Amino acid sequence: MTQTPTRERTAVPATPGGVGESVGRPDGVPKVKGEFEYSSDLHVDGMLWGATLRSPHPHASIRSIDTSEAGTMPGVFAVLTYEDVPGRKVYGMEIPDQPVLAWEKVRYEGEAVALVAADHPETARRALEKIEVDYEVLAPVVDAEAAMAEDAPKLHLSGNVLRRVDVRHGDPRATADVVVTGEYEVGMQDQAFLGPESGLAVPDGEGGVDLYISTQWLHVDQDQVAESLGLPPEMVRLTLSGVGGAFGGREDLSMQIHACMLALHTGRPIKMVYGREESFYGHVHRHPAKMRYEHGATREGKLVYVRANLLFDGGAYASSSNAVCLNAATFACGPYDVPNAEIESLMLYTNNPPCGAMRGFGAVQACFAHEAQMDRLAEELSMDPVELRIKNAIEPRMTFPFGQEVPYPAPVREILDRVRDMPLPEEKAVMGRDLRELPGGVSNTTHGEGVKRGIGYAVGFKNVGFSAGFDDYSTARVSLSVEDGEPLARVHTAAAEVGQGLVMVQAQIVRTELGVENVIVETADTRIGSAGSTSASRQTYVTGAAVKEACETVREKVFELVHEEFDEEFDEEADGLAIEGGNVVADGRVVAPLEELIGDEEISETVEFHHRATHPLDEDGQGDVHLQYAFAAHRAVVEVDVELGLVRVVEIATAQDVGKVINPLALEGQIEGGIAQGLGLALMEEIRITDAKIQNASFTDYLIPTILDMPPVRMEILELADPEAPYGLKGVGEPPTIASTPAIVAALRDATGRELTRIPVHPEHIVSLDEEREA
Amino acid sequence: MPGYERAELSAELKVEPYQEELFEAAKRAAGESGLAREAGPETIVLAGGRREVLEATVKTVEAALAAGVHTVEVRVEAEGDAPRFGGERGRGRT
Repeated sequence: MTQTPTRERTAVPATPGGVGESVGRPDGVPKVKGEFEYSSDLHVDGMLWGATLRSPHPHASIRSIDTSEAGTMPGVFAVLTYEDVPGRKVYGMEIPDQPVLAWEKVRYEGEAVALVAADHPETARRALEKIEVDYEVLAPVVDAEAAMAEDAPKLHLSGNVLRRVDVRHGDPRATADVVVTGEYEVGMQDQAFLGPESGLAVPDGEGGVDLYISTQWLHVDQDQVAESLGLPPEMVRLTLSGVGGAFGGREDLSMQIHACMLALHTGRPIKMVYGREESFYGHVHRHPAKMRYEHGATREGKLVYVRANLLFDGGAYASSSNAVCLNAATFACGPYDVPNAEIESLMLYTNNPPCGAMRGFGAVQACFAHEAQMDRLAEELSMDPVELRIKNAIEPRMTFPFGQEVPYPAPVREILDRVRDMPLPEEKAVMGRDLRELPGGVSNTTHGEGVKRGIGYAVGFKNVGFSAGFDDYSTARVSLSVEDGEPLARVHTAAAEVGQGLVMVQAQIVRTELGVENVIVETADTRIGSAGSTSASRQTYVTGAAVKEACETVREKVFELVHEEFDEEFDEEADGLAIEGGNVVADGRVVAPLEELIGDEEISETVEFHHRATHPLDEDGQGDVHLQYAFAAHRAVVEVDVELGLVRVVEIATAQDVGKVINPLALEGQIEGGIAQGLGLALMEEIRITDAKIQNASFTDYLIPTILDMPPVRMEILELADPEAPYGLKGVGEPPTIASTPAIVAALRDATGRELTRIPVHPEHIVSLDEEREA
Repeated sequence: MPGYERAELSAELKVEPYQEELFEAAKRAAGESGLAREAGPETIVLAGGRREVLEATVKTVEAALAAGVHTVEVRVEAEGDAPRFGGERGRGRT
């Protein structure tokens, strides 16, 4: 039935700033101008400074701890040890095995042993020096292989094996025409976020505490802090403070429990800020890995089998090692059709720093190895390496080696085609170039002599969201009201903005769904239900879906008002009832402005979004374990000074399927940033460890790429909608990191002819000083 | 990532009064189960499948008593429903 509008309708433009637009960051200008308040900038009158005494030994028994002298120093308000932990004395996201403060043993260099609160950070530091800890130093377990030795000391009650995942698929005795083997190694990468661990704990005077903190997951922090304080969660309230990067390194606790303990003990607000060196001991790192691979294929280049042993160094405590071990096992074969697979993924406890989440966790290590193997196989078969990959690329409705059906979209062939077909950067004559365009740059190490160019390809994939049966939900509250005569929407979640841009994405979704330009994204805190972690490339998917659903419900309520107001003469579907530009419209014509419909009321809705269930792997490593898969391919062009081992990455080309571009500018930033981190792992980023002790805990000695190291990035974006995801989107944060590293190393191999089986590739690997010495 | 394939059951065992040499016997027995971790100077946690945890709990308690411990406090928790992992938080629209 045709409806007649009761008033004249005027055409309205769509609401600007919605999904698909390059909306600018609200925190962008303040950050660039140095005006953004990070958690390390927090201040409140009367606050004290907290500090942490850390073990100088990677493995030792504690005979005694004497705090008497420190406790009597002027300006010192508290000195606490494990005896002062009021609740559970251990914490951990997956396995609570890490002491809040060590009691009997220390298992890594830098482990927290005691805390001090003082009226000045320098007083706190001097008080730490007065705490006497009597250690019996023990021999450290220095790597995963040492941890497996029969005579290795047991670092935990049940031994040194932290997790094992086996994937068995097809015929274990399968044979092939062509076989290639290889051993690969990945060093310990650091997240290298710029904002150190910091926060402010404020006691409420009633036994509870408010914690202002930079973190990736407010509610898992809240749960762990409350447990160790012996308090119900509602007495431990967390508010997100300014986060200076995360990349997985803030998923575990650092100073959260410590600051709250000191605050409750002293009755004063406590601020804690780690220095750069302390930060290296204060968060987890990317797992080092040693991987042995065997690939078998037909003479035509079809993969017959993959066999792999993946060995990870989890460090002293569990952190998210379970997930890393699982991911590595499931991604070990790469995005290829592999009919037979035997994968063993093993995670060991050692006395090295604990390792945990970092961008691409588990997939990064495996991708370096399986892509090197694909290049070896291509060489053995005298095939083009991209052709080999395309020939074996997985497709929707195939089955992964871990038994899950490949969901649509899985455009592996297409992204490989795209990167191969992109034009190569012009190859200029090396002699006479601007120094900045040569390896070594302004260090003036070459004028072009000994410089060779190489090209390499790689493709990788990663799960988006949490897997293996975890109820990976997010909560969002959206409200619509009128303020100062204008419709205003507010969105409230506990989702951590860590620099990735969720703060824009939430507002964009609200604008698109509610047609309201003015949107306030409220500070994330624990007054609302959990949004889960800002990790695993999941927030835009999961929290985005929660915000979208909350908006849809608010919108329905607005339409109900329209029906009430206009005697139900509007039928939403028949009339195309919508909200645009702050008006309810039908057929593109205004029915009523929102401010007239809503008046003084507030329409609000709180929604939990739960994505479809996933399931743990069975004993053979088979199951519907992951939610969504994101794919990216990379081509690297490098120039190498083969005499000095110096490298210049000339260009990275990439193709990535993102499902739907939510914010083009932010997407570009994620891709470029992810590639920078992949470049870092390929060429320079490694925590150097000797006898379980970190040798380079500073940004002087731990090198990260600067703008001078970062090449131009040529990118092609595919938008193949995932039918299960909001707007069809896919998580985008991790894929750029995964395959960019092996692409760069493949290009180095192409330029140098060397095997380069370990990352980061250092100059000495390229010029092989060891070989020269032997010669 | 709490609960990535987290344990079905956990048992916390606390020895009272704490004596290191007696506690060592309980730690050895717990360690042999492959499910144990320390959770404090006098506390062991066993975590894993329901049957395995219950069997290991009995063995650990027996070892502690045999060593001369008088009291072992045991707290068994089905982690899937534990409130600290969000089990009590509401679902659906509120």
